[in-house]
Amino acid sequence: MGKLGKKARKFAKKNLQSVLKRNRKTKALFKKKSSKDEQKDVETQEGNAIGPSNGSIMVTDNIEDASIDAVFAEGDKDEGEDGSDSDGYLSEDSSSPYVAENVTGHILEDENASSTYVELNKNIHADLVMKKKKLDRLKKKDPEFSKFLESYYESIQIAETYSDEDERSDPGQQDEDDPAKSEEKPLTDSIISFWCKMVTEKHNQSALISLLNAYRAACHFGAKTIGYKFQNSGGFCNILMFMLSNADDIFRRLFQLSSLNCRKEAIVELKNSSKWKDLRPLVKCYLRSTLFLLNQVTDSEILAFTMTRLGASLLFVAAFPSLLHRLVKATVSLWATGAAVLSSAAFLIIRDVATVFGSNYWNTCVSKISVAYLARSRVSEIVDAKHLQFLRDSIIQLCSLDVQKSSAKALASISQLAKILQWGLQTKKKEAVEKICSWEYVNCIDLWVRFISANVHDYDLRPLMFMTIQIINGLAYMFAGPRYFPLRLKCIQWLSSLSSSSGIFIPVASFVLDVLEYKVVKEGGRSRNTFNVTSVLKLPKFYLKSQSFQEECLLSVIEQLSVHFAQWSCHISFPELAAIPLIRLRKFQEITTTENLRRMVKRFIDQVEQNVDFIQRKRDEVPFSPNDYQSADSFLQLEKSSLQTPFTQYYRGVLEKASQKSLHECGKMSLLEPRKLKRNKVERKKGIAVKENHPADENGILG
Amino acid sequence: MGKKKQKVVLPPELPPEVLEEDIEVSDEDLQFVNENVDYAGFVSNLDTRSITKHVTRVADVKEDALESLYEKRLRKKQPNKEIEENAIEVHPVDALPVKTLDGKLYYRTVPKEIKKVESESNEGDATGQDMNVVKLTKAEKWAKLKKLRKEAKKQAKEEVQQTSQAEVLDEVKKDLSAEEANESKKYKLAELGMALLADPESNIKSLREMLEISKDGNKAIVVLGLKSLLAVFKDIIPGYRIRLPTEKEQEMKVSKEVKKMRLYESTLLSAYKAYVQRLIAIEQQTVYKRVSVRCICTLLAAVPHFNFRENLLAAVVRNISSRDDVVRNLCCASVKSLFINEGKHGGEATVEAVQMIAELVKTHNCQLHPDSIQVFMFLSFDEDLGKPRVSEVDNKSKNKKSKKRKGFEEPNHLPDNGKKKTRQEMMTKTREEVNADFKAASFSQDLSERRRMQSQTLSAVFQTFFRILKHAMKPTSEASSLLGASGSHPLLVPCLNGVGKFSHLIDLDFMADLMNCLRKLAGNGSKSEDLSENSSNYLTVSERLLCCIVAFKVMRNNLDALNVDLQDFFVQFYNLILEYRPGRDQGEVLAEALKIMLCDDRQHDMQRAAAFIKRLATFSLCFGSAESMAALVTIKHLLQKNVKCRNLLENDAGGGSVAGAIVKYQPYASDPNLSGALASVLWELNLLTKHYHPAVSTMASGISTMGTANNQVYHSIVSPQQAFKESSLEQESFVVSGDIKRSNNKRKRGNDTLSCVKVQPDVNLKDQPNENEVRKKLTEHFLLLRDITENQRLRGELDQTTLSLNLYEQYKKQKRKTRKIS
Repeated sequence: MGKLGKKARKFAKKNLQSVLKRNRKTKALFKKKSSKDEQKDVETQEGNAIGPSNGSIMVTDNIEDASIDAVFAEGDKDEGEDGSDSDGYLSEDSSSPYVAENVTGHILEDENASSTYVELNKNIHADLVMKKKKLDRLKKKDPEFSKFLESYYESIQIAETYSDEDERSDPGQQDEDDPAKSEEKPLTDSIISFWCKMVTEKHNQSALISLLNAYRAACHFGAKTIGYKFQNSGGFCNILMFMLSNADDIFRRLFQLSSLNCRKEAIVELKNSSKWKDLRPLVKCYLRSTLFLLNQVTDSEILAFTMTRLGASLLFVAAFPSLLHRLVKATVSLWATGAAVLSSAAFLIIRDVATVFGSNYWNTCVSKISVAYLARSRVSEIVDAKHLQFLRDSIIQLCSLDVQKSSAKALASISQLAKILQWGLQTKKKEAVEKICSWEYVNCIDLWVRFISANVHDYDLRPLMFMTIQIINGLAYMFAGPRYFPLRLKCIQWLSSLSSSSGIFIPVASFVLDVLEYKVVKEGGRSRNTFNVTSVLKLPKFYLKSQSFQEECLLSVIEQLSVHFAQWSCHISFPELAAIPLIRLRKFQEITTTENLRRMVKRFIDQVEQNVDFIQRKRDEVPFSPNDYQSADSFLQLEKSSLQTPFTQYYRGVLEKASQKSLHECGKMSLLEPRKLKRNKVERKKGIAVKENHPADENGILG
Repeated sequence: MGKKKQKVVLPPELPPEVLEEDIEVSDEDLQFVNENVDYAGFVSNLDTRSITKHVTRVADVKEDALESLYEKRLRKKQPNKEIEENAIEVHPVDALPVKTLDGKLYYRTVPKEIKKVESESNEGDATGQDMNVVKLTKAEKWAKLKKLRKEAKKQAKEEVQQTSQAEVLDEVKKDLSAEEANESKKYKLAELGMALLADPESNIKSLREMLEISKDGNKAIVVLGLKSLLAVFKDIIPGYRIRLPTEKEQEMKVSKEVKKMRLYESTLLSAYKAYVQRLIAIEQQTVYKRVSVRCICTLLAAVPHFNFRENLLAAVVRNISSRDDVVRNLCCASVKSLFINEGKHGGEATVEAVQMIAELVKTHNCQLHPDSIQVFMFLSFDEDLGKPRVSEVDNKSKNKKSKKRKGFEEPNHLPDNGKKKTRQEMMTKTREEVNADFKAASFSQDLSERRRMQSQTLSAVFQTFFRILKHAMKPTSEASSLLGASGSHPLLVPCLNGVGKFSHLIDLDFMADLMNCLRKLAGNGSKSEDLSENSSNYLTVSERLLCCIVAFKVMRNNLDALNVDLQDFFVQFYNLILEYRPGRDQGEVLAEALKIMLCDDRQHDMQRAAAFIKRLATFSLCFGSAESMAALVTIKHLLQKNVKCRNLLENDAGGGSVAGAIVKYQPYASDPNLSGALASVLWELNLLTKHYHPAVSTMASGISTMGTANNQVYHSIVSPQQAFKESSLEQESFVVSGDIKRSNNKRKRGNDTLSCVKVQPDVNLKDQPNENEVRKKLTEHFLLLRDITENQRLRGELDQTTLSLNLYEQYKKQKRKTRKIS
């Protein structure tokens, strides 16, 4: 077994370089497969725990090795999917006159790709010519030598074929014994265009077969040569483009299916149709080749195009469950890692798979994309916040398709999070703290918070929401220090968004106001406003001392309080709600020495006081008592939307500014990245507080 | 002569079969001893000797005291016999029984032993059961030694064989000799210890040897020696205090047995003395610190009645505030055990310990670890000692009070204190001598003696407490610049707890000062905060809350007999509520304050109650669910008690007849009586019913209906503390209950497709990739791939050609060979 694996690896190294490249790329982002078993173990453990007893605290001791995404891993069991059904070479009518046409003209490089390989190849070629000449001279000089060489190579070949036998038994490489392997037919533009014409106009099946074979060869080009040989890029492009854009239509026409029909029932219909038996290998050949192409190519635009075309013929893919699984797997990885266009194209496929092909596929899709999302979150600093947002939103979209099931999933996931948090609260161990204060954990919460916010209007998600709020409270309670300011800000934002989407009351004022009382050694002066607070969870120490940190704190306090107050600004108990925050803000105003901050606070206080006065005046007029809930709830509700008082405008202004700022920051991020790095480097050179600028520390890993 | 005395003592009316305890405590005995103090000395002298007499002889004595002692002797011998019998089944050392104070024997079973030995290996913990630990240490050591011995025997055999063969190995042997010496010392220790335990009287001299071994240079040996000595001493130390015979007594003629006994006792005592001295000396070295402290603590806990207790106690108290957690915990545990098991030493050790701690606090200017005061919480004062005690306590505290008052006026009251102390000590000393003699005879305790000791303890405890309180009141600059801002008053919290616990024992005359002190402390933060924000004088909110709580406890414990106005504390508390911060301050303290100050308050001040209700309602809008629950429970309590306050629940358009002088509510007022809360309406409840926590929202709606529902009978509700604890985050089980999953139903629209439509994707709109672009990219891709394959092909060929070229050399050689052969 080991030997076989080694062989296979060697083979891959030799022949599948681009795949290897891809693998390397994705490996960095995905958890290695080897850890999957472990994950499964955890999952089964958790399954036991969550089961009937609903997870008493006893389980907390094995929390340590529980991973956050264990809940989702259940869908990943079918890893070792069968590659057994081959996309074998389709036998052609060799009598076909069009194939026999031989183009003898060896077309030399008429196009030059500006790759480094051209130069390299030239050099090697020159070298080769020299050596060959030398060898020939030797051979001429000594004819016995050529005999000796022949016998030598023969012996080597025997040994090679002998060892090759292992390889052949490998189902993955069964293309080796393809009958068409040996004969390489060169392809030209004219042949291809002729075939295309035949297929589109006359619906010639044998031409289609040839086309498919050529397409297959094109898709496998570079990895191994099967059947056809491409002379130049034109033919290659033509065949790929033609097949990708037209194959779906061709097949649909053959099966007489409308292009809009994309329901699940269509598959059954398809399978029952008489033509299915004949055409099945053709369809399969096309799909497998396309999938292969997906794994082969690295360029995002080709991938995106292929994706969209594959999405169109999803119906056919569904007829082959194993292919569908492979497609989902490939798509998910592209979705997670790809650029914007590719990612959205991939998501469209995932969504279609999930919606059209029933709950089973929905399950696997949700599991896989959640795992992929969390895997992407396993970084110390979020660089591409927008992409992660996109990923999160698409998961939420997918989950919203079946809120019932996904809320069950969410409940499981959140109880997992809760257990980890409980473990952390009880033991206060360093590992626990690290595990909780990680983007993986935070993004998981973020995901469910958004999910709840999106769906709480239409569904009863109260238990889920309650749990989530408790976890968030626990998080804010556990990480109270100024270094965890970004995390706290996130907690407050979550609570606010949950509160505003569901209409329930969640007290956040104390969390917000605590930010004002951070005990930081004031240093002031140096302003380093290049630092983006939202990209980390734990701030570096040097930042705490800067003036901009103080400003950032106050700004977010005012923002968050504005969100909170804006929500309840017309509630009958607003004056009481604002009372304690007002007291503490006034105190802060007295203490603070910075004129700028003081002015901001003053303005905020004034506006809130106006609001308080307004409500107080209005409620003095009402006749009902606090226990009359209905009247209390309807208090000022009519005015709420149309209110044009200065304070509401103020809140709105603050919120707008905040959203603009965050947008700006998102855009600024990528630009500032190199500069920031440079700055760090400079500081390190200077040797200012080496420890503070330690990269890991800056990323917020170290405690 | 001795016999004569015994006859006098013998009470004729007592039947001989009465239990020894009854007789010991009988008043007549006490009376008799009190009356004939001079004779009591003889009695005690006689005892020590007669023990030996009667133990060695066949028992034929009727005297009760002697009988009891004799019985004890006998019991002590029995276990030894039994061990010998058991020796076949169980290893004798492992099977050694533990004897508790009341003379019961506990035999260990073998499996239990093994388990314990394992658990013992981690030496760090085990603060609670020193007895066990030490026993186990011994056991473990034995096991180890046995193994080592076996190995050594094997080694020795091998070596014997080897030496016969080669003498070169001598050098190796020399190297090994150091190790061997160590080994042999270990055996020696083990053997001596075994022998001592088996028959202490005949082997008593080997104590000296063990002591010598424990002075070895090797650390392991020293530790082992100290520990085995500890085990031995713990086992063989008698249940009485040894008093060496005076010269006069030594001149007298005595029997052989008595002589033997005297020798035994003096040897034991001198060895013990040396051991204790060694421990105390070694305690200064950091290497042996933990071992010696462990030994000292164990000894103190096990044999507090025995000689040299003072030295042990001094060492323990010296380390009670140690930075080393292990050492400190050990010391605290041993002092605790002294306080709890007063029967072992008759309370003397308690007095000494308390006085020493008081002295320590004084010398360190209150900058100690909180644990050192925390131990006072384990003191127990027997209140049933009767009236005389009270009068004496009164006396004491009167003295103290006058002293304290002086202290308040002029800070240097120490000389006065010192004088007092010396006098007290003198008295104690003289009495102690008498007492010791008496106690040795009877084990019973004089009531007045106990009273005296208790009052001494009390005075020392309160002296410490007041010292700490006064220290906390001092302005910052004087207090301490050593420890800095962090926990500037480390002792304050345990001290306040202690005052709260023992407040019923404080003299009434003294109460006013205490209250003043507490009042100042409670208001400490608010006063100084304007001046200096970061000063270390700034008490934390928890500490200030605790001050309020203690003030109320003191009042309550004295049945509200005091005429002190608690209004100030209410004002402080009213403002402290706003100062509270969830993460920083202890919510439990706040909940306790709510309970004691508001729920249990018997006074009915409507104005104040309304102010607190309003403030707590506002408070619960800002903070987490635990705090909210505690506040709401308190509100409910208050509303139940103050019927008129229920007006807050109704929006009375007229302003309300009950509203006081202040017509409008002042939310920012700092005095509850001036806030005019009666004029307000509890609108907060409306928002609280929307609270995310179901408990809070149901509680809020429950409160809001109290006004209309007229049923006066409310079922008992939980205390704020309970409510806080139940909903605090640590306690909260994050697990959902079973029914939640079922109730996970759709709320309004059940239409799946509808929601599907609603969340249509926004990604759809993104333009599809341009075909031309794709074509271009494909071309590039193709070229790249082709070049790569070409490259591979060329490389392959190149390799082959070079290989062929290389092969030519080989070919030539071969050819030459064949040529040569031919």
